[in-house]
Amino acid sequence: MSGAIPNAALDVRNVMWLLAAMAFVVAPHAFRLPEWVGVFFALVVAWRAWIAWRAARNPPRWLVLALTFGAVAATFFAWGRIVGRDAGTTLLVLMTAMKLLEMKTSREVVLAIHLGFVLVMTNFLFSQSIPLGIYMLACVWLFVATLVGYHRGVGRTPTVRERLVPAGLLLVQAVPLMLVFFVLFPRVQGPLWALPQDARAGLSGLSDSMTPGNISQLIQSEATAFRAQFEGEIPPYQLLYWRGPVLWSFDGRTWKVPDFNITGSLSYSRAEKPVKYVLTVEPHGKHWLFSLDVPATLPPFSGIRQDLQIRSVRPVDVRVRYEMTSYLEYRYGEKLPANFRALALSFDERRNPRTVALGRQWAAESANPTEVLNRALRLFNTQFTYTLEPPLLTSENPYDEFLFDVKRGFCEHFAGSFALLMRAAGIPARVVTGYQGGEVNPLSRELLVRQADAHAWVEVWLEERGWVRIDPTSIVAPNRIDSGINAALGPIGVIPSLIAADRLGVLANLRFAWDALNSQWNQWVLGYNVERQRQFLASLGLEIADWKKLAIWLTVATLAVGGLVGLGLVLRDLPVRRDPAVVAWERFCAKLARAGLPRAPHEGPVDFLARIESQRPEVAAEARAIVERYVEARYGEGISRPESRDLLARVRRFRPA
Amino acid sequence: MFANVRQTVADWIFRARSPESPPVTLVQRRIFILPTRQGYLFGLVLLVLLLASINYALSLGFVLTFLLAAMGAVAMLHTWRNLAHLKLRPGRCDPVFAGDTAHFRVVLESPSRERFAVAIRRQEGEPVFVDVRASEHSVAALPAPTSRRGRLRCGRLEIFTRYPVGLFHAWSYFDFGLAAIVYPRPAPDAGLPPQQSTAGDDEGIPVPGDEDFGCLRPYRDGDAPKLIAWKALARGDDLLTKEFQASASAELWLDWIDARAPDPEARLSVLAHWVIETERLGQSYGLRLPGVTIPPGRGDEHRARCLEALALHGEVPGP
Repeated sequence: MSGAIPNAALDVRNVMWLLAAMAFVVAPHAFRLPEWVGVFFALVVAWRAWIAWRAARNPPRWLVLALTFGAVAATFFAWGRIVGRDAGTTLLVLMTAMKLLEMKTSREVVLAIHLGFVLVMTNFLFSQSIPLGIYMLACVWLFVATLVGYHRGVGRTPTVRERLVPAGLLLVQAVPLMLVFFVLFPRVQGPLWALPQDARAGLSGLSDSMTPGNISQLIQSEATAFRAQFEGEIPPYQLLYWRGPVLWSFDGRTWKVPDFNITGSLSYSRAEKPVKYVLTVEPHGKHWLFSLDVPATLPPFSGIRQDLQIRSVRPVDVRVRYEMTSYLEYRYGEKLPANFRALALSFDERRNPRTVALGRQWAAESANPTEVLNRALRLFNTQFTYTLEPPLLTSENPYDEFLFDVKRGFCEHFAGSFALLMRAAGIPARVVTGYQGGEVNPLSRELLVRQADAHAWVEVWLEERGWVRIDPTSIVAPNRIDSGINAALGPIGVIPSLIAADRLGVLANLRFAWDALNSQWNQWVLGYNVERQRQFLASLGLEIADWKKLAIWLTVATLAVGGLVGLGLVLRDLPVRRDPAVVAWERFCAKLARAGLPRAPHEGPVDFLARIESQRPEVAAEARAIVERYVEARYGEGISRPESRDLLARVRRFRPA
Repeated sequence: MFANVRQTVADWIFRARSPESPPVTLVQRRIFILPTRQGYLFGLVLLVLLLASINYALSLGFVLTFLLAAMGAVAMLHTWRNLAHLKLRPGRCDPVFAGDTAHFRVVLESPSRERFAVAIRRQEGEPVFVDVRASEHSVAALPAPTSRRGRLRCGRLEIFTRYPVGLFHAWSYFDFGLAAIVYPRPAPDAGLPPQQSTAGDDEGIPVPGDEDFGCLRPYRDGDAPKLIAWKALARGDDLLTKEFQASASAELWLDWIDARAPDPEARLSVLAHWVIETERLGQSYGLRLPGVTIPPGRGDEHRARCLEALALHGEVPGP
């Protein structure tokens, strides 16, 4: 039994609709997968269209089979495997092409449409942006419209309207139920099975090491790192140090997160000026989470290390959102254990000898560490230039090369060399990486921190002061800290330069509006996870303890909303409430018919009454009263509600013999 | 497999009913609905989409999955609504000759909205699809091949629909007790009936003083060869046919006894041929069958009456 109207499968226009929907859904993949995939798919679609158009024969079975094997082989050669996000999608696209080529019956067509729905899903593996979401919704509409085309239109092909309108109606009516499910369906934390390696490909962000040159690569990226929504005023720009990985280990070139893992605590000897804010961190695939210096609370499922680096239990593979409180004025770490002190002073004696010598010289000439600090800052202030494109440091002694020869660099150069100078001078020092500043969206009052805001600074340990933040970059390029990277460096690239030139103009406002929209989208749609679901339902007054309770609510809401939608559809069809006068009249006639005096079909009420009076004189008076009221109700002025009740009562009492 | 289950369920719920009196309105409790094979496949696809959404934490994947699932649920309502409150009446069933195709007609009427691609089929038969416009009548003519003369009963009919997306199959049964009269297939080479009032001369030699023979008229397609004026043709005239004017007044009895044939069915075929031929010649005729006598007459109604008597010959008058 095929579900479609006979011959619908062979109809040219039906096939064209399917091919168009397929082309639309695969189009975004053409830009992500190797070029030949898109070209091959386009060729197959064209071929299939030609077959439908000319009513030609489908390609022979052996050819389809050969192409199928070829597709699997090509996928394997392109990706080195046939599973995983990229390879799997490639394979699915190619297999869909094969299905299109060989399909003949309406059942195969419907199967192809189902493949189309799966292809929509594969697009979301690559992007879940608002534009792609809308585009995919349009694709789903096309597919449903194609499906409608196979089940409508008797003896002719349905028109564009006849396909799109019912399909659109179906989808619109499906929205309430979809929302119920989206809100109430129990969310699960984390993957059910291992994600393929490339599931989170293309994430950018900080790494757990810093080599001169790697942050300046990040600076090129306009991608969002995270967003912060402050409760109250946004703190001054120069206090917005978003703390990330803390680097202690140093091999002469690269600063690294040390291997030790000692849990710290949130106790500070001085903690003032708390600020509350909510962070929404984009996935970056690593464990760390960000906070303003210094954190007063911890996000859920995370811990803090001795050096105030917050680490999430799971890698940040999905967008996470957490509430934070930080103290902007603080003092901590006055007691430095010996092993930490040793680590914070260690460096390779054989590398960067000139830098090391300079540090030692300062230490010898200075009375206290503060003097050393000032000398170092003065050096950076007078002789160095901040640039996004520093010359490559290729020698064995990169910090020597930077400090004494090149003298132009970026935050990681300043931070790295400064920390090394301090260590050489006997002051414990470490490098902190993270982000600095951010861009305030005037519409949403939200702070947007981009990868371009990545930054590195230094913390030194001073007797009785504990760890103190020193940002050598702020000495070299005060603009960088006061008003952000764009001001310090000038425009980057074409579009940012447009934006930079138009900071307060229409374009900037549009961009801010778009960004605010994206932020809401991220929070409410894409970031709707276990935690957010619990929060949202709590804000509605539903305390959901576990998934069982959620399941009950889901059932209740589904029945309620589904019932309403269903009722809306079904009620329109119910027979209209009938005129009580007609009901009474029909009962009256039925009683007479049972009494052996049926009304003839042609007989009007008055004629019928005449016949009743002549044949059943004993009930004539009562019959006359009923008929008169009925005639008044139907053909006269109409009767009031009590009168119609009276009419019904009279009919009920009416007893023809 | 699902078709079998469906059949079993349907048989259990819909025990055979006696013919219903029209019109039949497809009220809620008469309509049954189950997913089609494609519907089950769709459910499977939804499951795959759901698992993918959970595993990859794809919010838009959830949106897609739930939107499609809700669409399926709404589609079920639409499918059901496409049948609900549809009014059915029996239509005309013209008699046919055995071997021809009879058509059972069902008139569909929608009091409220348009209905699309509503199908009606006999058991095991091919479905006939119709659209029903709002407050208009649509007619579904179900072809039924015939082989034997008699009364061809239509039996219980299934009305179903899968509009709009084919994920659900909504169906109902109804039985109007429709039947088509199937006339015996005329035996074409049976010749003309023995004419009591004419000389049965095959050569068609004019019999002097024969008042039946009226005039000659131009040959028309279908005229029996024995009526052709061969003599006139031999003289070089056009092909002419002998017209028996007097036959109108003569009473011809088509008798079971006269129809010589090996078996009763063949006799009925011969008689059917005679009825058609005599009617065509414009002669008045009566029909005599064992147990049935139809007095002489002429015209389409008479012809139909005679053919029907032949079709139903031997039928036990049933309920």
